[in-house]
Amino acid sequence: CEDLNQAPLSSGSVPTFYKSADDFNQGLNAAYNSLRAWPDRTLTMSETRSDNIYGVSAQGIRTWEPINNFSLGVVANEYPADAWSADYLAIYRANILLDQLEQNGTVLTDATRKGFDAQARFLRAFFYFDLVRYFGKVPLVDKPLEPQEVAKIGRTPVADLYTLIINDLQTAAANLPASYATTDVGRATSGAAKSLLALVYMTRSGSTYGSVQGPGLGTNDYATALTLLNDVINGGQYQLITAAGTSPNAYANVFSYTNENNREVIFDVQYISGGVGLGASYPSILVTNNYFTSIGVGTTFGTGDELRPASNSLLNSYGTGDLRKAVNFQVGYTAGTAVETRAAFKKYINGTLRGTTRTDWPINFIVLRYADVLLLKAECLLRTGDQAGALALVNQIRRRAYGLAITTPSTVADLTSLTLDQLLEERRREFAGEGIRWHDLVRSGRAVDVMNAWVVADDASNRIRKPLTANDVLYPVPQQELAASSYSYEQNPGYN
Amino acid sequence: HATEAPAPEWQLTGRVVSSKGEGLPGVTVALKGTTRGVTTGVDGSFALSVPETAGTLVFSFVGFQTVERPFNGTQSFDITLQDDTKALEEVVVVGYGTQKRSDVTGAIATLDATKLEERPITRVDQALVGQLAGVQVQQNTGLPGRGFNIQVRGNGSITANNQPLYVIDGFPLEGTSPNGNGNFATGSPLDNINPNDIQSIEVLKDAAAAAIYGSRAANGVILVTTKRGKTGKPQISFNTYAGISQQANRLDLLSPEEWVTRSTQIINSAWVRSGTGRTADQTTAQRMAILNRTTIDPALMIDDRWLDPNHEGLAYIDWQDEIFRTGKVQNYQVSASGATNNVNYFLSGNYTNQQGIVIGVDYKRYSGRANVEVKASDKLKFGLNMTPTYSVSRDPGVEGKDNLAQKFITMVPVAEASAGIYSNYGENDRYLWAGSSISPVGELQNRQQRTTTFRSLSSMYGEYELVRHLRARVSVNLDNTDARSKSYIPNSKLVGSGATGTYSGYRKQAFVNENTLTYANVIGDKHDISALAGYSYNFFKTETDKLKSSGGFVNSAVTTLNGATNITGTADNGTSETQNVLISYFGRLQYAYMGKYLLTASVRRDGSSRFGSERRWGVFPAASVGWRISQENFMQNVTPVSDLKLRGSFGMSGNNGIGDYSSVPTLGIYNYSFGGAVASGQAPNKAPNAQLQWEKSRTFDVGLDLGLIKNRVYASLDYYTKTSKDLLLNVPRVSASGYESQLVNIGEVQNRGWEVELKTRNLASGGFEWNTSLNFAHNQNEVKHLGPGDATIEIPSPYGASSTLLMVGQPMYSFYAIKQTGILTQADVDGGAPVIQGETVGDPKYLDANGDGVITDQDRVIIGRPSPKYTWGVTNTFSYKGFDLSVLVQGQNGGQLYSLIGRAIDNSGMGYNQNVLGTQRDRWISPEQPGAGLRGKANINFSPLKSDSWLYSTNYVRVRNITLGYNLGNVISKRVAQGARVYFSMENFFGHDNYTGGYNVDAVNSDTGGGGFSVGTDYGGLPLTKSMTLGLNVTF
Repeated sequence: CEDLNQAPLSSGSVPTFYKSADDFNQGLNAAYNSLRAWPDRTLTMSETRSDNIYGVSAQGIRTWEPINNFSLGVVANEYPADAWSADYLAIYRANILLDQLEQNGTVLTDATRKGFDAQARFLRAFFYFDLVRYFGKVPLVDKPLEPQEVAKIGRTPVADLYTLIINDLQTAAANLPASYATTDVGRATSGAAKSLLALVYMTRSGSTYGSVQGPGLGTNDYATALTLLNDVINGGQYQLITAAGTSPNAYANVFSYTNENNREVIFDVQYISGGVGLGASYPSILVTNNYFTSIGVGTTFGTGDELRPASNSLLNSYGTGDLRKAVNFQVGYTAGTAVETRAAFKKYINGTLRGTTRTDWPINFIVLRYADVLLLKAECLLRTGDQAGALALVNQIRRRAYGLAITTPSTVADLTSLTLDQLLEERRREFAGEGIRWHDLVRSGRAVDVMNAWVVADDASNRIRKPLTANDVLYPVPQQELAASSYSYEQNPGYN
Repeated sequence: HATEAPAPEWQLTGRVVSSKGEGLPGVTVALKGTTRGVTTGVDGSFALSVPETAGTLVFSFVGFQTVERPFNGTQSFDITLQDDTKALEEVVVVGYGTQKRSDVTGAIATLDATKLEERPITRVDQALVGQLAGVQVQQNTGLPGRGFNIQVRGNGSITANNQPLYVIDGFPLEGTSPNGNGNFATGSPLDNINPNDIQSIEVLKDAAAAAIYGSRAANGVILVTTKRGKTGKPQISFNTYAGISQQANRLDLLSPEEWVTRSTQIINSAWVRSGTGRTADQTTAQRMAILNRTTIDPALMIDDRWLDPNHEGLAYIDWQDEIFRTGKVQNYQVSASGATNNVNYFLSGNYTNQQGIVIGVDYKRYSGRANVEVKASDKLKFGLNMTPTYSVSRDPGVEGKDNLAQKFITMVPVAEASAGIYSNYGENDRYLWAGSSISPVGELQNRQQRTTTFRSLSSMYGEYELVRHLRARVSVNLDNTDARSKSYIPNSKLVGSGATGTYSGYRKQAFVNENTLTYANVIGDKHDISALAGYSYNFFKTETDKLKSSGGFVNSAVTTLNGATNITGTADNGTSETQNVLISYFGRLQYAYMGKYLLTASVRRDGSSRFGSERRWGVFPAASVGWRISQENFMQNVTPVSDLKLRGSFGMSGNNGIGDYSSVPTLGIYNYSFGGAVASGQAPNKAPNAQLQWEKSRTFDVGLDLGLIKNRVYASLDYYTKTSKDLLLNVPRVSASGYESQLVNIGEVQNRGWEVELKTRNLASGGFEWNTSLNFAHNQNEVKHLGPGDATIEIPSPYGASSTLLMVGQPMYSFYAIKQTGILTQADVDGGAPVIQGETVGDPKYLDANGDGVITDQDRVIIGRPSPKYTWGVTNTFSYKGFDLSVLVQGQNGGQLYSLIGRAIDNSGMGYNQNVLGTQRDRWISPEQPGAGLRGKANINFSPLKSDSWLYSTNYVRVRNITLGYNLGNVISKRVAQGARVYFSMENFFGHDNYTGGYNVDAVNSDTGGGGFSVGTDYGGLPLTKSMTLGLNVTF
């Protein structure tokens, strides 16, 4: 009976969809859509995991606390579970598109097809890299498969995952444009692919932690990374923001609501406000309503989480005159009768230009910026013995932080020598609240020592599990994935 | 023909009366063997001329035994027609027809609904509570006018629909399961149906009875028959009641004084821990000096006014007193009914108004009904049933997580005296120690949330006797529901800019055309045969729409969306449509030999658009046999046994209750933005499955019906097994596939149990009569098979580790958590007892189930099951002279509830800035004051895991209804009214349960499921309503 063939009235369906360039583009946009929740995740999974945040709540038990206090209960915590599944959902969307390009891509021009292919590969590599950094070995799936088939794929060795990531990024770097027209700003560029690839090489070169099969394989790819970073630097596409613009200082201007897509941005996650479901929620997640009240916007933001304050050790890291501290934090504030003495991350909050709700901020999240590329280059130089070259780059960043011209030597701002620990600490100050700290600690091999020392110094409430061990470098495979795999996935050490 | 002179005739006259001596109008008086005849007039008299030939007059009337009288000349007759008791008593409604009760071979339970007029109930499902064995009716909400959750013989489906199919006057209407929030998102088939219009309700419990409804019958079928006119004088009835309603129970929360004590402990403890040299006896001023600050930190300092015995400047508040109120209920119904040989009619109009027990909650319904049937000739009749209804319900968003019930339960019972119950509302600031909670009274009074529903249920049918014994029937039915919801939620400062508003609704349509041929005949007085063949076409369509404000409202004066700052966005705004088609062929044969040996067999073939093209059609056969032993010759001398029947049945039925497009790989919208502009995106939103098909259910049933001592004792027993397989299950998939779950036909669940129904006339002497009707049912639910490898499925929870699972050998959705075994003592700690990381003396002690020396989520064990093992109901009725009394007691045993509201208000980890349950009063305070041993200390330093501390028994006993009536017939003249009755009724007044963590053991208002499973739980539901009403029924 014809009547029994009913197609959905209010949605499309796969077999009839991928027919034109616009359809493929929409499939690609859906993969970009997966980026939208990524900043929130990274602020919890990386920033909150690190010594940058002391997130012991005064009242009640918050879902992110096991991340911060290294509870073994994190196996069943929603954040690692969400990171795992959301990263794979993004990979699936990229895989679907790559598969459809292969099957039906002949309707596209060669250039269009290659462009879509390169962007999808960039995103696939981006999310696989995210998985590797948090979980180590994860199943390698590079095309859409029936769910039962995927369940047969075990956790693939980290080295094999890097092979896919590096291949994808190399293809992307070769085929992506250096920039886009205004209407496409935010798409992956060759510069983004190269920068990310450099970071991938450096992470692969990072320390191994005994038997923990983490992201570091000690491969010593610093020279390869350096070449890529120099490519980005010499390409002239990017530069450090040195003008204050309408902001209090140049550093603040990097994150200004009126200076988005500036030349320091290499890759970012794009948001717009206006209640169309495309605003950002990440600016809200580390602060409380009281903070919004204190800046006069509290009443429209409903109830929210508790403060995840910056740790004392992070606050104390900034020297006198370092302008970044006041850009990144509000130390102490009052909301009506409520007094808060701890520090709120306010880096991304502009009460005047806010969106309609606490999940509707218009501000992009910068994933890769030129300052990062410079400091990554410094790290490569330091690793390969060029301390002076590294120092010059670090001092550029420091001079800007002190409001000085970046090319003029300064007795206030400049360091005179540079160790890896100092570089790490400089990165900590520069990228506070950008979700980078935990990965830096893991890559450098210092994660266990630094964290244990910090716990001794800062854990006043005695809430963090101690001592931390190499096992804590990785998150556990989430409980729901273990169960869904019928426990064929092996758990990371220390979580059994 | 030439005109002939009329033949001379005899004049036959007379009067026909009933056994009570009242004249019977409309009786057919026919001359046997001819077409000549008349009908009697209003007083039962008639006159008929007949040719001058001896003959026989036949007096016939529906519902009466036919009488024949010979005549041989002009004559006058006095005829008394006896009630045809056989016809009146013994017919039950079955699918597509009726059947003599004595011939029924399936498991069918019947509720005589005529008594419903005497109870202050507003819904048909409410009327079923405690009445029928094996029919479990749960009131998931305390809000008036909402649908109930009904399960027939347990739940056989894990994710698909678990509600029965409703058939209202032959019109099949699919129910959908309530969602995890306890709501029927697009209504329940019983919405707006006036219970006073109901004649009877039949529940088809086994497949033999239900399989005629094929792919929708697996959860049982509920047949609702509305009233028809009765032969005799037209009847005008007026029914009314009015009364009051209140909350049935209260929660034991800390009083303001107790809250102050607990908060002081928490704050002092935090102060002492915050630095060296800090002691609990330091005053707030001293603490401020130590910290060198001029303002109070509520986490470290108490409010000095707590120490004042009169707590000057503070208001101590019992929020439950402020929120709950005494509501008024009232109901009016007028009906007119009657029947002649040609027309049968029942017309009614009803208005009911229930004021809720909580500020701002109420429900009103207006309904009308016209059931008219016209007999155009001996062979042709047609009819029309129309039911226009309109309801208005108001709910400011009371039940469920983060809604107002949870807020008033947890709100600190202390406020600034200047703000009082409007603390943190309007102009008032919050109380410093009160967290961010907003006055629930202010919210309830100012939120505008209203749903209006217009529903019209119409059926038109015609029936024609093609040849003798063979009738054709065609019906066309349309059920149309239009629902509109408006919401305007001002922000707590009552300014327009922070307000939110929505305007949404749905239109749901069911169109059904059914065509049947029925053959019924008794051959040779021994073979009673009836056969049915039919075809039906069903079309269901649902359209939804929603508009939502963004950026607040221009001001608070205009609350419709034209007053909103903006209405934009694709995420919340828009419309959607969904539809499905079901085409069916069905047939049934019923055969009885001498009323002793009974056989029924049926088959239905259904095709549905919901399933993959390869698996679109399903066949559902069923057969049942019966043996009426009491009709056998050898039983004729066994006088105590008046009725004895053995029944057995077997059948298959199905369940197609999933989404309309579940087998199709649909795309979802996933947008992004580039350079500040929206960029549309689409990607698959679910794992497709082209093999998707029905769930199949196989029922085996044996039953025994036994009547003793002229049926003064009547018992009915059934034993059944219902095995549901090919269950539609969202099997968890590894996320690496891009999907966390996939819908497949896998898994098997069995329900088995027994049911007893017992009706006794205990006493009948001296004008005193006592009858008892009892039902008792046991059901055991067991998961037999799950996904690949029968792997246990832990249902993901948004609040930490899963506390619900599906495991082979266990009941569906069993509860799973760590078990508390006591409170940690110093000896435990010294002895290295297993603890959750961070636990110390005075914290709960848990069972280390896996023996690894620490307490983690790995130590979860099965702690309970959601469905009760036993459900029962007893109705006792007494009458003496003009008085009658009926008492309905019902209950259930053997189930549990995992309560998240309990967890939210009875959790040691909760801070000073909220209120907690009374159980925390008896918490561990010190080794010298260990409390009741159930709750640990108030200041904790560990992350609590889900434990059995929040598992509660759902056992309850409830006196659902007590009605005392008095027949005014002796007082009021028959000329004024044919009958009149006053009554006093109490609903839900007495009862007992062990649920201390919330109000209502059956409450479902928040979905805590995930991965495609919905797990409803109580996260702040209202108590049941108890009411006291006075009513009047008058018949003119």
